[in-house]
Amino acid sequence: MRGKFWQTMGFSERGKQYLQPEEALYLMECGNVQVFYRDLPLSIQDGYERFLSSDTVTLHQYQVFGHLKRLGYVVNRFDPSSVSSTYERQLNLPASDKQKKQLKRKRSQSPVSSDKHGISTEEKTTSEAHNELAETSKLPADLQEPVHLADAPERTWWMEEDVQQKHPKTQTAAPRWDFSSISFPDLGSRRRSERLASPHRSLLPENVDVGECDVSRWLGRLNMKQEKLSRRDMERQRERDRYRRDVNSDREVRRCRNWAEYSELMEERRRRRRKHRPEHLWEREETPLTQPGQCTSHRELLDQIGIIKSSTFSEGLSRLSPSDQWKISFDVYQPDTVAEFKKSHPGKPYTRMCVCSFAGPVPDLHAVKQLSFQSQDVPVTFAVVDHGDISFYCFKDFKLPTDVY
Amino acid sequence: MDGDPAVMKVPRSSSVEVKEDMDTKSEKQATRDALIDISFCGSTPMLWKVSDMKKCRSEGVIGALVGSLARQPRQNVRLGRPLELRPEEALLLLEKEKSTAAVRLDTQQDCEDEEAHSEAVRLYEAGLESSYQEQCVLALEDKKKTLNRVMNEKENGTEGSGSAVRERLEALDQSFSFPWSAMAVQLCTARSGFSHCPEERSFHSTDCPMPRDEHLNTRFSVYRDLRNKGYYLTSAGKFGGDFLVYPGDPLRFHAHYIALCVSLDEEMPVCDILAIARLGSNVKKTVLLCSPQEGDVVYSSLQWSSMV
Repeated sequence: MRGKFWQTMGFSERGKQYLQPEEALYLMECGNVQVFYRDLPLSIQDGYERFLSSDTVTLHQYQVFGHLKRLGYVVNRFDPSSVSSTYERQLNLPASDKQKKQLKRKRSQSPVSSDKHGISTEEKTTSEAHNELAETSKLPADLQEPVHLADAPERTWWMEEDVQQKHPKTQTAAPRWDFSSISFPDLGSRRRSERLASPHRSLLPENVDVGECDVSRWLGRLNMKQEKLSRRDMERQRERDRYRRDVNSDREVRRCRNWAEYSELMEERRRRRRKHRPEHLWEREETPLTQPGQCTSHRELLDQIGIIKSSTFSEGLSRLSPSDQWKISFDVYQPDTVAEFKKSHPGKPYTRMCVCSFAGPVPDLHAVKQLSFQSQDVPVTFAVVDHGDISFYCFKDFKLPTDVY
Repeated sequence: MDGDPAVMKVPRSSSVEVKEDMDTKSEKQATRDALIDISFCGSTPMLWKVSDMKKCRSEGVIGALVGSLARQPRQNVRLGRPLELRPEEALLLLEKEKSTAAVRLDTQQDCEDEEAHSEAVRLYEAGLESSYQEQCVLALEDKKKTLNRVMNEKENGTEGSGSAVRERLEALDQSFSFPWSAMAVQLCTARSGFSHCPEERSFHSTDCPMPRDEHLNTRFSVYRDLRNKGYYLTSAGKFGGDFLVYPGDPLRFHAHYIALCVSLDEEMPVCDILAIARLGSNVKKTVLLCSPQEGDVVYSSLQWSSMV
């Protein structure tokens, strides 16, 4: 049997080529294939009555199959074991033997000797990015090579104690800098000097001696020009500034020397405000969830007053048990991929079909969740059959907006 | 090869007793001629023969075509046979005794007697052979015509090439061969006389392979009543109801009503009534709430209007 349909339909087993019953019936209806049973050709009526049953493919499923095939889609039976779980995809395991392994490496700076090291340095990258001196994980004992030492100069900037220790094995929690005692020069202010004093010895690595820094060349790169606004822009600026109060125009704020003092000032002001709070609200057992003026955006406010915890669609998916009633029947691939379609490596389907009818129940949240979990990243479409008429429905995840901009 | 095999039609009186009988073959054929064959695919009743479909339509039962159209199989706008019937439609045809329902029984299939089967195979192969002969002749004529046409065109043009074509034409009778594999074969839609005939059984309401539940009974009463009043009904899943009610053939009219079948003791929440009323007013159809009551059917229509 020759024909173009072998590209997308059928399968081979034990040296022979086979067609699924729904594929055979569809080809019979198109007039491409004749099926013989006991030397006599089967009529289409025979095909319907023999090939379609609840064990193989039901009539509804076949109607959906035929509908999609006639439009040109490639439709295959769904095999639950062919879907890789999220964990597998996280590990980037090859889906088939032919696919090459590609492990992603987020960090590339330091020479990485092994995968384990790669993963642990990943954590370090994120901690550096946040500019915090969080506890770094203990490296496994066997990674004591010079590779580790190559990283050392970078990290000693942040860890004062390590400068003395130089102990590759254990890394204690690095002490935080005392920002209250370090003064950072404000290079952007109008009053600036072109020479900066040398930083404190404790902030520098060993054996590094820095004299006075001449930052004039660097300052030259800063754009300190007064911005010349057009008249319209100036008007716009004035409009905006009418209702905006510059935080620095507050004398009390100017008196604060650092962030800690500023937050203390804010807290003090809040306390003063609270003295005027109504007693019946605040002095009882149950107090309001939020205070006036506490929140600056709708989202913050909603977070504070929301007593019902909102749930996302993907919550609790792994705990769902498969149901008998709702099953995915087919994988559907788009028609324009037919030319490159390979049966052995079909790729990710465009959508997956679940066939039901108007006579049956509407899928409840449990069914929708369970099917989408089973299908992973491919959307699920419900094909509803009503005596020959087919309608397609799909459910989309939606989040209510919580903030107004 | 869709119709029944030609038999002598024996005129019979109209009352048809449909039961498992040991009648002679000709009588069986005669009663079968007047009846519509309903075959079941699982629990879904279907009609396969064109004659059956015509009879069915003349009874006022519409059904829906669900198969590929033979001439244009790769489109969904117009579909072809089989005609799928709703359970209510099949029940009506059975009740009116206009049809007989048949189910292919697996067991009977395989232990069919060998003689009949080999006879069938022989007939099939004979038919194939005669078809092949016909097609050979037709193909040869077709080829001759083409060559003649080419020859005439060439003679009107240049001189030399015409002779080569003429030689080919003359040699054609001897050398022409029509390969067996190039033969056009017809695939039957309905089960023809060549293949095995299923045993026919009458179906009383208890035997029916269609599952009968409360809702089906309600719907059937409504269907029967509206059909007797002369309306044509089709399915209305996309309109949120049970039936679409047409004053005449659906090919000539738009539906006037959306019929929703509820039993009298069923509680219906107000928001459901509101929803269906809104839907009906949007598609410009009147909504009918139908409930069977002691052999008769009670109808309430909903119409949406604003308070002035």
